[in-house]
This record gives sequence, structure tokens and C-alpha cells, in this order.
Amino acid sequence: MLKINVAKVLTAAAAMAMVAVPAFAAFPDRPIQVIVPYSAGGSTDLSLRLLADSFKRNVKGSTMVIRNQPGGGGSIGVSATVHARPDGYTLGAGAQGPLSLLPHLGGTDYSLEDVEYIGMMSRSLQLLVACKDAPFTDFDSFMAYSKDHAPQIGNSGAGGANHVSAEAFAKAAGIKVKSVPYQGSSQARTACIGGHIDAMVASPAEALTQSQAGNMTPLFLMEEKRIDLFPDTPTAVEKGINFTWSSWKGLIAPKNIPAENLSLLREEFKKAVADPEFQKKMTEMGELVEYADADTLKKQVEADSKTAEAVLRDVGMYGMNKN
Amino acid sequence: METLAYLLPLFSPSILGAIGLGTLGGLIIGALPGLTATMGVALLIPLTFGMAPIMGLNMLIGIYIGGIYGGCVASILLRTPGTPASAATVLDGYPMAQKGEAGKALGMATIASTIGGFVAAVVLALLAPQLASVALKFGAPEYFALAMFGLTIIASLSGDVLKGAISGFLGILISCVGADPISGVLRYTFGVTGFASGFSFTPALIGLFALSEVFVQMERLHLKDEQIVEVSGRWPSKKEMKESANALTRGSIIGTFIGIIPGVGSGTAAWISYNEARRTSHTPEKFGTGYIAGVAATESANNAVCAAALIPLLALGIPGDVVTAVLMGGLMIQGLAPGPMLFQTNPDVVVGIFGGTFIATFFMFAFGMLLIPVFSKILNIPRHMLAILIVVFCFIGSFAINLNPVDLYTMVAFGVIGWGMQKFGFSQAAFCIALILGPMAESNLRRGLLQTGDDLGAFLSGPITQTFLVLTVLSLVWPYIRQRLDNRKAKKKAVTSKQ
Repeated sequence: MLKINVAKVLTAAAAMAMVAVPAFAAFPDRPIQVIVPYSAGGSTDLSLRLLADSFKRNVKGSTMVIRNQPGGGGSIGVSATVHARPDGYTLGAGAQGPLSLLPHLGGTDYSLEDVEYIGMMSRSLQLLVACKDAPFTDFDSFMAYSKDHAPQIGNSGAGGANHVSAEAFAKAAGIKVKSVPYQGSSQARTACIGGHIDAMVASPAEALTQSQAGNMTPLFLMEEKRIDLFPDTPTAVEKGINFTWSSWKGLIAPKNIPAENLSLLREEFKKAVADPEFQKKMTEMGELVEYADADTLKKQVEADSKTAEAVLRDVGMYGMNKN
Repeated sequence: METLAYLLPLFSPSILGAIGLGTLGGLIIGALPGLTATMGVALLIPLTFGMAPIMGLNMLIGIYIGGIYGGCVASILLRTPGTPASAATVLDGYPMAQKGEAGKALGMATIASTIGGFVAAVVLALLAPQLASVALKFGAPEYFALAMFGLTIIASLSGDVLKGAISGFLGILISCVGADPISGVLRYTFGVTGFASGFSFTPALIGLFALSEVFVQMERLHLKDEQIVEVSGRWPSKKEMKESANALTRGSIIGTFIGIIPGVGSGTAAWISYNEARRTSHTPEKFGTGYIAGVAATESANNAVCAAALIPLLALGIPGDVVTAVLMGGLMIQGLAPGPMLFQTNPDVVVGIFGGTFIATFFMFAFGMLLIPVFSKILNIPRHMLAILIVVFCFIGSFAINLNPVDLYTMVAFGVIGWGMQKFGFSQAAFCIALILGPMAESNLRRGLLQTGDDLGAFLSGPITQTFLVLTVLSLVWPYIRQRLDNRKAKKKAVTSKQ
């Protein structure tokens, strides 16, 4: 099935490119810079580097260079992206935290109004896992425990994506949780494997290896349906709680890029994501490659933003950094 | 036998070449202020996509080991710590260079790094799975107690305790800038987006140590100081090695231990090791004046951290510091998930990495020793020209880390602070330690209180916590006890001499 999709995408992309290239041969005539709002070496950075590689292979005459501008949970880099010169030569990595969540806390100098979308390249599925020596081992015992205790759920930073997703689940399920923030996901994972917290939100890749080693136990998947990697792990939806959450990675740009450059970039992006080598490497890294066009990405960003706003208002973090 | 079979491929010319190239590249990256081992590893990961796992990963480990070692070069010669790991090396390394012993300082740094690296690599190869469990024992109270112990170094490192305490508290206060670690509220950013993560660490250190020194040098420009031309040989004498033996042993052990604990880092290891070497030395007053054992202590510790940090990474899938986190990304891209299963599913990779660590450490020694005369040539540049060069490096280095213009203001401001501190006898070292350990103490205290429902008792229980707290108290009281003992001895002597 995937093969047919890829082939279709490729043909479509090739057809579009053939139309597009002669008319706008001038763009891009120099490297396109992509601002990654995190440090080099993280999953967003590596994904974008793989994309840049794929660009070099698939888009003739265009190269992509990665520029890391970390800090402020990603807000510094996104701010630099949306305030860059809108000529199509400066793009940015789009991630859930700085786009859908951080503006609600205040303290960012951009809003979703300032963002132009190129497309989505991957989704990261999420599981809630029980940590070592936790007082529960599956969904039902977790819910039973949560009736009269607030389980401690570690996250990778206050107001970050998995803080919001854990609180959003608690809200949907009508339970109380105690969120314990760490500086980054690896610190949270260390605490989880050491049994210093009860549960955390994990990616399928880390949950798989750690559960094989007996350090984590998957509780539920934050999707509509179960996945092959965890055939025995239920979803919250099938347990009767209307809750799904996943994070995603995409490409964004400042507003007001010339229309022809923008549509060319969107086509090239689609082509680069369809590249089999790119998909293979991404999958090995534990990312789920899933192309979506700019409109779909925009809708996703806005939907997440709405959920996050409600959650952040509930936990009293909404607008806390407004000046 | 199997192990041997896994090790043999390491000696193929292409893999040796890759490790050598990685180590040399890392060494140069580390030596240039503003380019860090982390950056080197991250930028080279895409290059390793196409390589076999053993080759690619060992090349990255070469960059890592070379990069952490390379940091000592700018610290010793220019007082510009390229990485937090080598900030402590400034204390004795730079005065040595000023005395014309730059070659020897670099030589000792190389030897110490090699010893530290080998000790940790042996521990890694023999005990990785067993020791890894130590990493898991550290919860919020344990980290807090460790941070407290580290902060007591301030008391013993600063001659004037009051001024040392002021420097320390100033450092802790400044480390509060940025997002609150628990609630996420932005503190003291005054609406500047660029400060959302607080002051960046490396630009702050570069300002504190390097730019401030340029200011001091500028004040002395009109004095006709002698140019340092004489650069001693690179091998320390037998006597100097003997003096440093204690520092080397302690540094290697402390570095290995700290390396295993995730998230503490080589900066902390270097300071603790320096303090321990000084505390147990017969001649503590020599530390800080260009004493070779000081260099031995810090450099053995920070390179031991490198190999030791691989222990929790490989055995548990927990990266101990930023560089190993990046390395983990490199492993994942190769389709290898670090963790307990890796030892069973890919023993060839695990053994290959162990072997590669040894080889990279060896290359680091060889290249380091070979390049010392080249590096030392920097000091032949006339002093006023060198000052300008250092200023240029300060700016480039601070900007290159995050490409954040705010970091440049940070660097300049810390330069002025550092100059003021030097001028009025406040300890820059105390300030630096507080910057490193303040956030660790704060976030773990707050996290622990959150987890226990504001129960301070949790911070006093548990064997690891109690051990560190006892060490904390001892290290605070020790100077007074020592003084008492000395006084009593002196009195006795006085009495006996009178008779």
C-alpha cells in the first residue's frame, strides 16, 4: 500500500516540478537555511538533517543548511524564523512546543498568525508508561490507583509538550496527576528507570527497548487504534476515554513569501519526504514518517493549540509570562 | 575468544583512520574557543550515516574524547575555556603558561587526560553493567546533596571566605535568570526573548575568564612586561610527576564516579577533583599559582568523565551529558537502541565501542604530544596582538554556540564582572562553581519538595544523601580543624624550643 502511495506522490511531484522549474529557475539559487530551534543532535535536529540530505538528493540545484538556534524551549529559534526575511531562503523546523504551546504561556514575541506552513514530515506517537517499581502495571490498575492517589508523572519541562499531554489526559479521564518537570527528556527517563517517578510519557522507540529490559511498562497509547509495535497495549479511546495526542515535526516559514517560491518549496518538501532513504533512516530513529500538506499541518497546529490552551488555563499556567 | 574476534576489526586501517581522524578533528575543535565537542559530534553525525556502525560510532567517540581534551589548550594558553569542562584548568594552567612553562602544562594536561581516560575506559570495559545501577540510585535528594557538597568547594577555594561567599551567592543569583525549572515562569528576563533560557553558560565563562583577562592585560600594556618566548619542554620532570601522582589518582577516580552519574558533567568533576587534590596535598598553598598538580587534577577528571559517561548510555540507554545524548542520536540512526538489550543483541558494537575508546585515548595522547610545540607558538605572538586576537575569539566563540546575539551581551557583561572581581579580589572560581551547581541544587531541591509534598526529611535520609551531607560538613569544618591542629603543633614546637 505504501509503495503505491510513494509512487503516486513521486509522479505527482515530478509532474509539478516539471511545470514549476522552467518558470522559476531563479529560485533557489543559493542554499536555503533551516532554523532548528533546538541544540544539534536532538531528534528534531537529526530529522531535519536527514531532510536536508534528502533535499540534496531529490531537488536539483538546491541545498539546505541547518542552523541551530536553541533556547527558551524552542521559542528563540521560532521567533528568528518568523521574523526572518520572507524570501524563501530562511525556513524553520516546526515543532509542537514552540508553536502550539508556548504562545499560551506568554513571553514569546510571535503568535500563530505570524507562521506560514510548508508541510508536515513526521509524527511522534506517544505512550504513557509505568516506571520501575510503580504501584500499577496496566491501564486498569493505573486508573484504579489514580482514584485515591495522584500518580507522579515526569515530563521534559514545565509547559512542554508532554507536560501538556499528561495533564490533558488527566482532564479527559477525570483523574488528578502530579506533574514532575525535569530538564529534558533524558533526565525524566533516568528518573523513570530509577523508579523516582511513577509514570512518564515516552516514545514508542524508547518504550520498546526499556520495556524489554523490564524498566518500563506501557500503560496505554495516545492514538485512536493500537499499533503493531505494541499489540497488547490498549489505547485510551478503546478504554472509553476520548483522548489522543501525538507530536509532529514540520517545516514552517515567515509570512509573505512570494507565492511562486512558496508553492515550489511545498512541492520540493513533499518530494524530499517521499524519498525512500529518508523514510528508512527516520523509521530507524523511531519517527513515523507521515506527509501532510500545509493546510493539514495548519489545522493540526491550531487544534493542538486549542487543547493546550484549555489545559494550561486549568493548571494555571496560561499567560503566566505575559509582560 | 569472541571478544577478541570483535576487537580485531578495529585494527583495520579504515577504522583506525576514522578514529584517528575523529580524534584529531575533535582536538582541533576543542582547542578553538566556542567550538565544543558537542557541536563537533552533532555536525559529524550526518557523515556517519553511510558508515558501518563500529566505524561511525568510534569516529564520533574520537571527536568526543579529542574535543574534551582539546579544551585545555585555550584554557592554558589564553585563559579562554572553550568548554565548562576546562574552566578549572585555567586556575593553574594559565599561571604556568605565564611563567614560561606552557609546554609542560600542556604536557601534563595530555598525560593526565590520557591516564584519566584509560582508567575510566578500563572501568567501562570491565564493570559497565554492574556500575550502571549506581546511576539509577540518584533521585532529587541525592543530586541536591551532591550539589551542596560541590558548593562547599567555594569555601576552600577562596582565600577570603566572606568574599568567596559573596561571589558564590552572586553566581547562584545570576543562575536564577531564565525559566524557572519547575513552574516554567520566566525570571529576571525583563522581556528579552533571548534570555528565556537564562545566560548561556559558555559565553558567560568566556567573558568571565578570557575577556576579563584581556582587560587586565590592557591595564598593564604600558608596563614593559617581558614577552614569554621561552616555552619549556613538554615532559614534566620525575619530581613533578611524583607531586602530581596523588592528584592524578584522585582525579581519575572522581571523574569516573561523576561520569557515571547522569547529568552532572565534566565541569563539576574537574572542580571537585581540583578541590580534593588541593585539600589532600602537603602544599595546598601552591595551588592556583601555577602548580602542575592542579592541571593534573582537573584534566584527569574531565577526561575520565568521557569514557565513564558511556557507561549509563550503553548499559541503560541514559545519556549522562549533552555529548552522550548526541551520541545516542547517532546510535539510534544506525538502528541500534542503547540499553541493556544492546549487550545481548549487538555485543560486537558494544565491544567495538569499548575498544574504540582505548584507541581514541591513545590517539589523543599521540596527537596531543605532537601538537604541543605548534600550540605553544601562539605565545610568541606579541602581547598586544594576542589580546586583540583573544577578543575576536571571545566574540566568535560566544556567538557560534547558539547563534544568539544576546549571548554577545552576556559575554561582554560577564567580562566586566570578571574584571571587577579580579580587581577587588573576589574569586572567579567561586562564581563559576556557583553558576554550574546553583541550577542543579535549585531544581533538585524544588523537585524533591514537590515529590514529597514539602517534606524536608527526604533530603536527610538515604545512604547516598547522608554520605554527601557528611562530606559537606567535613569539608566546611576541615580548614578550622586543620588550623587548630597546626596551631597546637606550632605551640608544642614553641614550647619545646623554649626548653
